[in-house]
Amino acid sequence: MTHSEAAMLRMQNISKIYRTELIETYALRELSLEVKEGEFVAVSGPSGSGKTTFLNIAGLLETFDTGTYELDGRDVSRLSDDARSRIRNEKIGFIFQSFNLIPDLDIFDNVDVPLRYRRMKAAERRKRIESSLELVGLAARMKHLPSQLSGGQQQRVAIARAIAGDPALILADEPTGNLDSLMARQIMDLLEKINGMGTTVVLVTHDAELARRAERNIHIVDGVVLDSPSQAHSPQPRAESAAD
Amino acid sequence: MLGYYTRLAFKSFRRTPGLTALMVGAIAFGIAACIVTLTVHHAMGRNPIWWKNNVLYAVTMDSWDPHQPYDPPHPNRAPGQLTYRDATYLYGSDIPKRKALLSFVTGTLSGAPGQAAPVWTMTRITNAGFFHMFDVPFEYGGPWSAAADQGPEPVIVLSRRENEKLFDGRNSVGHTILWNHLRFRIVGVLNHWDPQPRFDDLTGGGGGNFGRPARAFVPFKWGPALHLFPNGSMSCWAAVNTYRELLGSNCVWILMWVELPTRAQRQRFLDFMNAYWAQQRTMGRFQRPRNNHLWKVSQWLRLHHIVSNSSRLLLRLAFAFLAVCLINTVGILLAKFLRGAPIAGVRRALGATRRQIFAQHLVEVAMLALVGSAFGLLLGLGGLAGVRALYAHSYSAYGKVAHFDLIGIAWALALAALSTLVAGLYPAWRIGRVAPARYLKSQ
Amino acid sequence: MILNIRPVLSAIKRNPTGALLVGLQVSITLAVLVNAAWIVHQRVVKIEQPTGINTRDTFTIAVSGSAKQFNAGAAETEDLAYLRSLPGVAAATVADGVPLTGNGGDTTVWLQPGHRGRFVPSAEISMDIEGIKTLDVPLIAGRNFRPDEIVPYVPGKIAPSASEAIVTQALAHALFPHGNALGKTIYGAVPKTIIGIARNFMGPQLGSPVYNTIIYPRLPGQGNYYMLLVRTQPGRRDAILRAAKKHIAASHRYGVIVYTQTFATANSLMDSSNRNVAILLTLVTALMLGVCCLGIFGLTTFNVGSRTRQIGTHRALGARRRDVVTHFLLENAIILAGGALLGAILALVIGEWLTTHYALPRLNLAYLLVGIVALAVVGELAAWQPARRAARIPPSVATRTV
Repeated sequence: MTHSEAAMLRMQNISKIYRTELIETYALRELSLEVKEGEFVAVSGPSGSGKTTFLNIAGLLETFDTGTYELDGRDVSRLSDDARSRIRNEKIGFIFQSFNLIPDLDIFDNVDVPLRYRRMKAAERRKRIESSLELVGLAARMKHLPSQLSGGQQQRVAIARAIAGDPALILADEPTGNLDSLMARQIMDLLEKINGMGTTVVLVTHDAELARRAERNIHIVDGVVLDSPSQAHSPQPRAESAAD
Repeated sequence: MLGYYTRLAFKSFRRTPGLTALMVGAIAFGIAACIVTLTVHHAMGRNPIWWKNNVLYAVTMDSWDPHQPYDPPHPNRAPGQLTYRDATYLYGSDIPKRKALLSFVTGTLSGAPGQAAPVWTMTRITNAGFFHMFDVPFEYGGPWSAAADQGPEPVIVLSRRENEKLFDGRNSVGHTILWNHLRFRIVGVLNHWDPQPRFDDLTGGGGGNFGRPARAFVPFKWGPALHLFPNGSMSCWAAVNTYRELLGSNCVWILMWVELPTRAQRQRFLDFMNAYWAQQRTMGRFQRPRNNHLWKVSQWLRLHHIVSNSSRLLLRLAFAFLAVCLINTVGILLAKFLRGAPIAGVRRALGATRRQIFAQHLVEVAMLALVGSAFGLLLGLGGLAGVRALYAHSYSAYGKVAHFDLIGIAWALALAALSTLVAGLYPAWRIGRVAPARYLKSQ
Repeated sequence: MILNIRPVLSAIKRNPTGALLVGLQVSITLAVLVNAAWIVHQRVVKIEQPTGINTRDTFTIAVSGSAKQFNAGAAETEDLAYLRSLPGVAAATVADGVPLTGNGGDTTVWLQPGHRGRFVPSAEISMDIEGIKTLDVPLIAGRNFRPDEIVPYVPGKIAPSASEAIVTQALAHALFPHGNALGKTIYGAVPKTIIGIARNFMGPQLGSPVYNTIIYPRLPGQGNYYMLLVRTQPGRRDAILRAAKKHIAASHRYGVIVYTQTFATANSLMDSSNRNVAILLTLVTALMLGVCCLGIFGLTTFNVGSRTRQIGTHRALGARRRDVVTHFLLENAIILAGGALLGAILALVIGEWLTTHYALPRLNLAYLLVGIVALAVVGELAAWQPARRAARIPPSVATRTV
């Protein structure tokens, strides 16, 4: 996989402290890491290591206490809530372990959600929704409700939703955690396919097996990056199987 | 985005139909209670001639007993009516643009074509100025002339109702009719004129503050000319035995209204009253403190406590009820919105701003307010019909004023819808503040 | 049964806004409930006040006529003679006012001449010799008017004041709280001697005090207008009213009947405004209580729904169904108690305000206590169903994912 040398995500000395009346807990401690544009990176670590905090900060869902964070060449360390919402909407696609589809919206409307907040014209939205559902192989299920789909299909809808807005960065948080191994494999295939089209993918997982499929592994333990042995890895071409 | 939010609101209602019905019901009941009480209250407190509020004045002077105020609980209040002496003197002034004396006498009307028996009638004795000052609408003809006031000429104006009864509603102007078995020429027939409250006469004569207006009108001087005892309200503080004595007495039985378009005219007329008062005082009258007053219509209505205590009480009760309904709605909305917090969190993660989440939920509240108001309006109209039925046979004014009153209802609706919206601000704000990361991991 | 208050309190702390809102509803509802019940009670007391007169067999015919030609004095004498001659008429009188209707005069009775000293407000009514007999009001002291004391009506004149008067017990007591009113002189336009004291009855004026009435022996007719009051033997009222109406309408050339009305109708009209206010107050208060219960129901339902897992965990750890129900009822009881406390203060403030602004008697504290108990019972009932639902949550939800 070729990608430019520009950094998509650069964190320097980021600390995040959770305070209660009695104690202070460091969730991240002077964490520094970098993800290049077009990379497929897996962030792994045991539970409680700070993976989720990293993901929340990377996705601009949470603020941090010290350090700087550059996303796609722009310093996003101290932005207003509105500006961060805008960046989430335009630059980032989220994929969650529990899919987080909106249960009373059908598939079409679920993929529509981020586009709505971008105030896109109806025709443009439709085009994007259809093409992203096409990509995940669910174009025929547009009018179905999430509850009418299998777990794997739901996660594919979530992926369609994540890519519909054409983001620069996909953040996936244990995307296969609720799926059996066959479905998990399909989801990973999809992520690789998306990465193949140029989108940077950061996969957060505690599953070493899964992490190995990424180009590069970053290991977080106790809120710091342990080390990041860069493993050159080229994904094997796979047969696209959209049918379940 | 409004269309999108509206669609989301509909989906939200469909998800929890029970809670939605509960909230709509609570809002509707609260609004209905406000519509009923506000309509009644508004109708009672209405100024039926608001457009002339600053030019029409009721005239009062305290001619009462030196030892005892007219109204012991309110010792500074003069009688609402004038004595014959004072009324006729003040009427002689040409300072006012228009002026009228008002009293009631009773009598019979007969001699209409095809009329079998005389009918009894409450007759207003007044002056031509009455019709001009109060913008009384005429169906046929018009007021009598100033000369007819002086004569007095035997001219009569009939109410629309009376004309319908006696002439089947035809134009009767020019006909002669027998008023108290004297021949009177009909010069005018009123169009529908039923000001509520009866601001022109709040003395309780002729059916009270919300009673029907007079059925016939003749020039004021016919009362004294025929020695007709006043049949409206009359108060005396010394015995009188004959009509002649009545005219010279301190009994009060005449209302006086004047139209004074400018401040200067108003001041001149007040000066005129004060000069008369001082001159009469030297002759032994007016031994109470000087209390010459010109009352605007709105002041006059307030002075006479037109809005009943029970109406005010029920209005307050309705507001308390609406408050409970709204608190209830806020509680349910808050619970409902917060239960949807994970979804709001997902939307935030997908790029919705706080303001967008807030707006989405506020639209939901607004739709609840709208639907609740619509049901509330229906319930309120039903409630008004109920109040009318309840008071159909009662001395109370409620039956009379509990009518569809556009302004009253508009007030109530606007107030209720707005307060619902305001009540919904807090839950919508709360859900807008939901931290986007908080629920994404939860299952 | 474990009555542990600490977990209940911490549960309330987790959703303080919800609890606060329900508490507010409870407090407003309690304050309104108590005061509305108190007002309704006052109205009912007014409705139940005896009129003191025979309202069953009595009716009014009002007569007037052409201003100059109609001789009210002659006409009323004629009508009276006719009515008294009718079989089935127990008594008849002319009057210038009608009890229970607000149609009649009011006056101020003085204890000294020249409008000085103490005075008492009272309704006044002029009647013929059979006046108190027509109203069926017995004299408890003194005597009725004699025929020679009746002041006749002379057309064109205002009848001179009578020099005798009969007063009600209430007026007599108000005038002479420590002595016998009989034979005493009272002052108005002219001095009058109290020759009789009648049992209390409601006069023509509806304002308070309703039992203060003074009766003069005088025939009305001023303004060419008089009222005939007629009491019939039981059961004859409607037939005699019909007959009399027909006869009188035909007997005066220049006279007309203005209206007729039975005392029963007048009485129900008089009560209606009190009755209607009572009905409206009761209705709105009941609705308010209903809405408040829905609020309690809604909050408990919400709490049960959002704590399903937690309840399941408790059940798995050995809590019985009864313990779950108790938990929710206790939680609700604490909110109710807080609301009741605030509501009691609010009720007293409103009560005080009503006393100063609406001259209502001070709120009876028993009403407050009964109100609190009633609201507590109804409020707990509203929480009962969702609490039962909570108890049916199986312990297995604790171990289930998603």
